[in-house]
Amino acid sequence: MSGGSKGGATVKARAEIALNDEFLRKAVRFTTERLRNGKKKASDEQGNWEQWRERGRAIRLHTIAHLDYYLNLFVDNARANGVHIHFAATAAEAVEISLDIARRCGARSVVKSKSMVSEELHLNQALEGIGVEAIESDLGEYIIQLAGEMPSHIVIPAIHKNRYQIAELLSREAGYELPPDTTALAGFVRKKLREKFLEADIGMTGCNFAIAETGSMVLFENEGNARMVSTIPRTQITLMGMERIIPSWSDLEVMATLLPRSATGQKLTMYMSGITGPRRSADADGPDEMHMIIVDNGRSLQLGDPEFQELLNCIRCGACLNACPVYRHIGGHSYGSTYSGPIGAVLTPSLNANVAEWDDIANASTLCGACYEACPVKIPLHDMLVYLRRRKVEDGHGSKLEGLGMGGFAAIMGSSRRLGGMLRLGKTGQRLLLRDGFIKSRLGPLKGWNAYRVTPALPKQSFRDRWPTLEQELRAGLQEMDASVSERLERRLQERTRKDSHGTDSADNSQLNRVRDKQWEGGGGHE
Amino acid sequence: MNESHEEWLARLEKRSHDRQKAFIGGIANRLGHGPMTEAPLNPHRGAPDFWTALEWNTEEKVKRFTDNFLSVGGHVERLASFSDASAFIVDKAKEMDVKIVLRQDEPALNELELEKALPEAEIAVWNSDRDKAWKTEAAGADFGIVQADHAVAYTGSAVVLSSSGKGRSVSLLPTVLFILIPVGRLVTRLGEVLETFDQAGKENLPAGIHFISGPSRSSDIENDLTIGVHGPGIVYALLIG
Repeated sequence: MSGGSKGGATVKARAEIALNDEFLRKAVRFTTERLRNGKKKASDEQGNWEQWRERGRAIRLHTIAHLDYYLNLFVDNARANGVHIHFAATAAEAVEISLDIARRCGARSVVKSKSMVSEELHLNQALEGIGVEAIESDLGEYIIQLAGEMPSHIVIPAIHKNRYQIAELLSREAGYELPPDTTALAGFVRKKLREKFLEADIGMTGCNFAIAETGSMVLFENEGNARMVSTIPRTQITLMGMERIIPSWSDLEVMATLLPRSATGQKLTMYMSGITGPRRSADADGPDEMHMIIVDNGRSLQLGDPEFQELLNCIRCGACLNACPVYRHIGGHSYGSTYSGPIGAVLTPSLNANVAEWDDIANASTLCGACYEACPVKIPLHDMLVYLRRRKVEDGHGSKLEGLGMGGFAAIMGSSRRLGGMLRLGKTGQRLLLRDGFIKSRLGPLKGWNAYRVTPALPKQSFRDRWPTLEQELRAGLQEMDASVSERLERRLQERTRKDSHGTDSADNSQLNRVRDKQWEGGGGHE
Repeated sequence: MNESHEEWLARLEKRSHDRQKAFIGGIANRLGHGPMTEAPLNPHRGAPDFWTALEWNTEEKVKRFTDNFLSVGGHVERLASFSDASAFIVDKAKEMDVKIVLRQDEPALNELELEKALPEAEIAVWNSDRDKAWKTEAAGADFGIVQADHAVAYTGSAVVLSSSGKGRSVSLLPTVLFILIPVGRLVTRLGEVLETFDQAGKENLPAGIHFISGPSRSSDIENDLTIGVHGPGIVYALLIG
């Protein structure tokens, strides 16, 4: 399986490049801040946000737990509506099917609206390879396509470009100089792409949700390009991850409440379109022929995996990116894959089943849990990052020195007498290295740590020294832990440790837990 | 290689059916259950109960719809009748010196009698001539005029359904869009409209269902809001009644 383009360097190296780019850093921070505040405002305004998240999670859990049933139902209904359904187990198969359709239609150009699956497949290069022009029509995607780059944010793909760079790119395309003015630049793209929409033989879209009971597909967007792509060309191809299903239109109300608010803070995107089959014979627009390619490409590896199955609940809103302190610092390109941020850090190795190759992106996280808090369907991403690190170590990809260090740490921390002795020893020994209250030396074991930071001097009075006093203060004045926090922690602890699940939980939770049990019984064998 | 288009489609269709079993069987396998023939019990369909109980009166719905639509850069007018709507559109057409108006083929829109009121403009009626290239016509239109099948106050959305007389392009390609919304079609929640599609069933759904909540927009260049990037940049919601 293709591992995606990793750029041949580590997250650290790519992050250094990103950190050196002053504009990028500011732009990412500004954008994520704007989106995060928008989400907060929109979810506060909506009210009962926890209950909405819980319902969103329940619907996704239920659908994924019975994905075979709902996918079959969707496929049967979509076929009855006149859609040509194709199954692709791998990226290569999905590409092959797309190229077959493009050749058959004698296509010269394909206009595309945003599709993360298409990015997974690297489909544009494949189309160019058979002489078919592939045009991204989402404004941001169009810009980065001209620049020959990858999206750096799932919702705002050209977050890393300023308008001067964009004006330069578009001027080259126009053949005359465009001013670095947003309205003028967008105006040029509108005119240019209008021609492309009307000329194109094939329109290609992604799919936000697929409604099993009626065989319909749903697209959320603000620009109107997805509507163009699915209305004007004679042939439509929709790429759909096999887990995009929800049972009914009624369930769409929950997804439509969660997705736009979490992505951009909107009550609803400017357009939400439900497409049910190709044009009816009496209609004067809409595609004559509609194809849907249902893509696995590593998704089924997460099915039945107790630690990662919930990844399939993801609705691709990008809220975890905006919430993540690491993403906000280093930007999307540092992750080196189609999906960035916390979701990308977990999804990429899971889709590719190659933990070792992507080991560094699981470490590009502080495990602070902000991603879980932001997730509208409550995917425990920070837990998954820990599982990923554990698997990496279990697979023998941990650092030997780190293992040795951790062994020493355990030996010292395991005995309070030994720890006390070490601290006293350190207080004396550090005098050799101390400069202005900091240790900057990169000698011996301090090399890795101090390459990026300085170690503070050991304090005159250590935490352990102060503990007896602190303990008294705490016991006197300790407030009860916030009830909701402690309840959540308790609940999650129970969920994660419960082996016998045929108890009071919902059908889908117990289904998932049964899967977990089964997996444990079988020795946790994931591929 | 002399396979016809139909033969090619039939070949793909057969391959698709052949692969379906393995593809979906593999999913069932990983989930640890056998083939499912009956619908699983689903305790969590749709929005939570506290939400479905929400219902606003007409004035509240009009107010909320208006506030929402204005907040995203759309325009809203409350008008007493379709003839008032006609007068409003004619007024705007003269102000903007409109050349081509494209409207859906619906009785309520026929009654606007725009042909009479705007003799100097071309008034095209969607799909009224089978041989015309209607998508190109829509791309060249200054005004698009549609009637909403539903509207949602909570999100500020108008809903348009496609049919032979109601093109998807009419609400998408023209520069300026007018959406006529009889106030009786305004509901409180999104779910009230979505449920009707579940009730209708797939045989009765149109090819295109579009929720429109304002002008086309993008913030892709430096987070700077741009209106009208692909779809109509000027959108009027005319609430009638």
